[in-house]
Amino acid sequence: MGLGWYITRRVAWAFVVTFVIVSITWGLLAASPDPQVSQAATQAALQGGNPAEAQERARELRGLDAPLYQRYIDYVTGVYTLDWGWSQTRNQPVTEAILDALYYTIQYSIPWTVLVVLLGPLVGLYSSANQYSWKDHAATGFAFFGYAIPNFFFGIILLLIFGVQLGWIPVIYNTDVPVFSVANAIQLAMPVFVLVTGSIGAVMRVSRNESSEFMQADFVKTAKAKGVSQLRIYGRHVLRPTMVPLSTTIVGYLLFLFVGSSLLVEVVFSIPGLGRLLYRAIIAQDTSVVLGTTLFFTFVATVGNLIQDLVYTVLDPRINFDDR
Amino acid sequence: MSSPVETLNPLYNSEAGAGTLIEYALDPGYTWRPGSEYFPLAYDMTTDNGEVWVANVREGLQYGGDYGEVTAEDFVYQITQLHQSEWAGTVDAASWPSEVNVEATGDYEFQIELPNPNALYPETFDPYVYPIPMELMQPYVGNQDAQGLQQDTEILELQFTGNLGAYTLDQWNRSSGLSYSRNDDYYLKNAEGVPEVFTQAPYFDSLEVQVVQEEQSRLGALESGETDSAAVPPNRVSRFRNLESTDVYVIPQPYNEVCVYNMRDNGWTTGPGNLFRNKQFRQGLGCAVDKQRLVTGVFRDFADVEYTWQPRWSNWYPQNADVMQFGTGELYGSEATRSRIREAISDTDYSYNGETLQNPSGQPVELSLYHSAGQNTERSMAEFIAQEFGRNAGINVSVEAIDGAQFSQNYWQQQVPENTDQYEWSNGSYNAGPREVTSANAWDMTVVFGLNTYPLNPTTASVFFQRDSSYNPYGYYPSWNASELFERASNATNDQELQSVFAEIFRNIAEDQPMAMLAFPADTVGYAAGIEGPQENFFSGWDFPAWYRNE
Amino acid sequence: MATDEPSTRFDSVDWEEIGGGRELTTNFIGVAVSVGALFVLVLYDVFVVPGDTPTFAAVGWGYDVTGLDWLFALSLVLFGFYGVLPLYQNARMTRYYWREFRRNRPAVASLAFLTAVFVIGLLGPLFIPSPTVDLFAKYQPPVGFEVARTYVINCAGPVVNGACQGTWQYPLGTTQNGRDIFRMIVYGMQVTMKLAFVATLIVIVIGTAVGTVSAYMGGMVDEVLMRYVDIQQSFPTLILYLLVVYTYGGSLLLLVLLFGLFSWEGTARYVRSNALAKTEEEYIKAVQLSGASVYRVIRRHIIPNTTSSIVTDLTLLIPGFLLAEAQLAFLGLGDSTVPSWGQLIAAGRSDLSFAPWITLMPGFVLFFTILAFNFLGDALLDAINPEAQAEAES
Repeated sequence: MGLGWYITRRVAWAFVVTFVIVSITWGLLAASPDPQVSQAATQAALQGGNPAEAQERARELRGLDAPLYQRYIDYVTGVYTLDWGWSQTRNQPVTEAILDALYYTIQYSIPWTVLVVLLGPLVGLYSSANQYSWKDHAATGFAFFGYAIPNFFFGIILLLIFGVQLGWIPVIYNTDVPVFSVANAIQLAMPVFVLVTGSIGAVMRVSRNESSEFMQADFVKTAKAKGVSQLRIYGRHVLRPTMVPLSTTIVGYLLFLFVGSSLLVEVVFSIPGLGRLLYRAIIAQDTSVVLGTTLFFTFVATVGNLIQDLVYTVLDPRINFDDR
Repeated sequence: MSSPVETLNPLYNSEAGAGTLIEYALDPGYTWRPGSEYFPLAYDMTTDNGEVWVANVREGLQYGGDYGEVTAEDFVYQITQLHQSEWAGTVDAASWPSEVNVEATGDYEFQIELPNPNALYPETFDPYVYPIPMELMQPYVGNQDAQGLQQDTEILELQFTGNLGAYTLDQWNRSSGLSYSRNDDYYLKNAEGVPEVFTQAPYFDSLEVQVVQEEQSRLGALESGETDSAAVPPNRVSRFRNLESTDVYVIPQPYNEVCVYNMRDNGWTTGPGNLFRNKQFRQGLGCAVDKQRLVTGVFRDFADVEYTWQPRWSNWYPQNADVMQFGTGELYGSEATRSRIREAISDTDYSYNGETLQNPSGQPVELSLYHSAGQNTERSMAEFIAQEFGRNAGINVSVEAIDGAQFSQNYWQQQVPENTDQYEWSNGSYNAGPREVTSANAWDMTVVFGLNTYPLNPTTASVFFQRDSSYNPYGYYPSWNASELFERASNATNDQELQSVFAEIFRNIAEDQPMAMLAFPADTVGYAAGIEGPQENFFSGWDFPAWYRNE
Repeated sequence: MATDEPSTRFDSVDWEEIGGGRELTTNFIGVAVSVGALFVLVLYDVFVVPGDTPTFAAVGWGYDVTGLDWLFALSLVLFGFYGVLPLYQNARMTRYYWREFRRNRPAVASLAFLTAVFVIGLLGPLFIPSPTVDLFAKYQPPVGFEVARTYVINCAGPVVNGACQGTWQYPLGTTQNGRDIFRMIVYGMQVTMKLAFVATLIVIVIGTAVGTVSAYMGGMVDEVLMRYVDIQQSFPTLILYLLVVYTYGGSLLLLVLLFGLFSWEGTARYVRSNALAKTEEEYIKAVQLSGASVYRVIRRHIIPNTTSSIVTDLTLLIPGFLLAEAQLAFLGLGDSTVPSWGQLIAAGRSDLSFAPWITLMPGFVLFFTILAFNFLGDALLDAINPEAQAEAES
């Protein structure tokens, strides 16, 4: 019952979580009325038919007359066979809608995540190594600024200054430019900058605070005394234990931001990505798209948590798996 | 554009915005040019007596692919097999009741036989149909497959349009926008009886429509030249007028701004009895809001004050009739409001306690007023109304924002009862029955919806004023003989008769105050300087294919 | 060196108090009495005062206290007894903390700022009339600014070169509906405070309880609790907020409850992982060996020793609540009847290019509030973590 078994169990668990969450969302949506059904009633009335009957017909047509458990089973089967339904408000299959949107979301979220995960802990560590120097204050100031400024607010202001006043960046996101092109880099620079500024602060701070605890730990002092190189001390004796508590927050935090920020930043910069897809779907009560995007976000979150747990166990040898 | 379109399927689209997008690529049957003049596109319509209308389909209209030429058969098939069918549920279904008889009388001619004569039939937009190839619809008709028809890619993405539109739709990216390219074969180029400028049409090589949710970004793009057109909110018009790179056109439109009172049983949530049902009370409220201040303060004068269900520029506006002008002059003010309300409540337990109107249990009357979330002008209007009601009528109004779709579904539309037979009428969710049939949630007042006044043919507006029509979410029972007057209007045979009936109708509407009729805001649209085509009248855009850029 | 003086060590205070035994402390009595009084008032509001009548109509105060207000009062009481009073009681510790804290100037400024927000937010609305709509006074610029004459209808100040100047009548300008922004910000402070206090209270209570219990008990309890936390953590909360708020309407109370009930998982995990590391340490083992009860170990050792984690986490969470509210407002789904800063930011964003103050003023206040929370949290962390501090200076 070692690491292997633990990982197997965690992966299995990830599937369970996804399943539970999607079921909850499905339940929430099943409880709310379907706009298409009342539309049918109106139409029937306009044609001199019986609205109640028409409503019934519409329910049948949309499979809403089946008992609840039957609809649920159908839905779950659909999820696993990748038949995620048809979007009423976009008139295309849900999977297609999600893939379309994902294409744009990925373009800014990959550079964003990479920058945050690489730069965050490093700057934090650097800060704590030079605690209370002007560099630390500058880094802390930047972290706080980024964290404190609401990213949609920041985005609008940057767009106003650099897009409208100075004309350096396009005001409207252009979907026609190739992914790897200068034009695309220019138009994505602002969203990525806003997102990085907004999310790096927390990572920097947690790693600074945590690593400053380890800076004074006895084993670091010992290492220093033994004459271990500065780089090695930071890399091995400070960064690694810092990553343990950090890893518990960073993934959850980033995922939280992924949903929230992607939505707002996409609205501000008019990027037709996943966040906006979801927001529109909720507003328009496009049930199948809401479920599809929720499923997707949940999947990402679960996988993220899984990775986080694995990292946690690998990094902290003190935790043992045998009894939990 | 501020929000994406749901569908481009001409059979299932009910939104005006998407309609415009469809028409870039697919011309409908006809349109109206300035002066309320019929302008034939796919077909011309003529009549002798208003009862039988003959439509002549233009020759030389070609679908794309293998669908061949557009014939009368296509239209007749569409109307009889889809719009008049039980199963398809198209949006035009209401325009084609089964009593209307449609048949092809030749390759390029079909006739429409109406149950009652209607001299203004094309003006109702009932016979407004898009050409769609019969072969495309047939498989779905055979299977009665409404869902399949709605989801058909060829119809949905307008791939059959051939030479039928000035532009061809290349790509529809659901959330970001649409791109079109110039259609070299556009049929109107060679058509007779069209203005000279069409011979070279269309003038733009490509057309991009983008969905940008942020108003700030849309205007920024207009200012920086990234886009050629965007709606400009009233507060910004003078700024964009002063810019060299943009022009702003003030385009009147037929939708009014109304504050609707809920006269159904779940309205007037502040105490027993529903005072909104009392005409005198409604008249009192009509005196509470200063309409001129509203028009200036909210719309910066890019709107007209509204007293009755017709804009001033309409041919049917009763110029000489004595229409009561609530919210102006003597019919405005605290005293005008209170005296009417006092009279209205004289036989109830409501009373004025000093300045404040109280309900029978001695609590101040408090009403909710809903507006669409995120709509700045609408919120300003709601807050102004709330303040005026407080000041002039002594009624507390709490202003609440709500998403439009949400409001429509849970407040505006009623829940259709299981057994519709037990009610005198039940006409679908917008009028599912008499006042005891209500929506899921209670509400008092709303400014979420502006309603169409149909300036081309005001008889169409009759649905708003009849107890048992298909559209009466607010539970209005007219105190005047609405059905009879509208009946007379639809049967009128000449203009003079129409004028006098409409004058009578509009006088009654103004007096009865079914809702607070506030203003006719104009569309204020900004265009890049040098774009020739937009006009400052209701018909602007009728000749869109002939618009060009003046370099 | 701080580390050389055991008396100023944080955990040493706990050791001294341990001798106190289990008799009821004054704090506990104070909390019990205040909460009891609050409870009686709530009962009075619910059962005695008729529906629409203001709660304190009997003493002539025409304000109808809402459910959220009661929760706010409760969190204030608890904050007073568990946050402020202990500082007074342990004067020596407080002085020490203060000495440490004072060196961090941004933190002192932050504390002053937050105190100001707190006091003005609490008392301001009692003295300043609520902002009213005045369409003809729209877009008045703040003092020292100007706006092109074409945007305003009536200019309250002087008009110079076709530009309307700001006046002291509207120190921070007005919105597109002519509401006074200064007053709106003051009213928004109270909303902010309610949001921060109530949601935080919920988070602390649930998060700490779940985290420590889970770490200490281990086994099935841990398994079940942490699996639940897993699910909650994986749930994209914003989707949940959007779904719930869209369906049920975003009243402020609902927002606060949502934020509180679905944000504690981070705290719980954080507390647990720290506590887990701590339980491995010798002194806890020693306490356990000496026969201390589970409750006692948690209350006396694990909670105080994980305070630093909790505080760090909370200083991230509170701004998160404020941001979430602003985000929902931005999307048009917040509580439009409440004059929150988020609502104001959202309302002004379409006028940003010519009337930037509508968005900027509340935006900066929100920004500074969040910033202050961060600085404060950071300073608190340093103050209660003297080891790190002391060495860094050596």
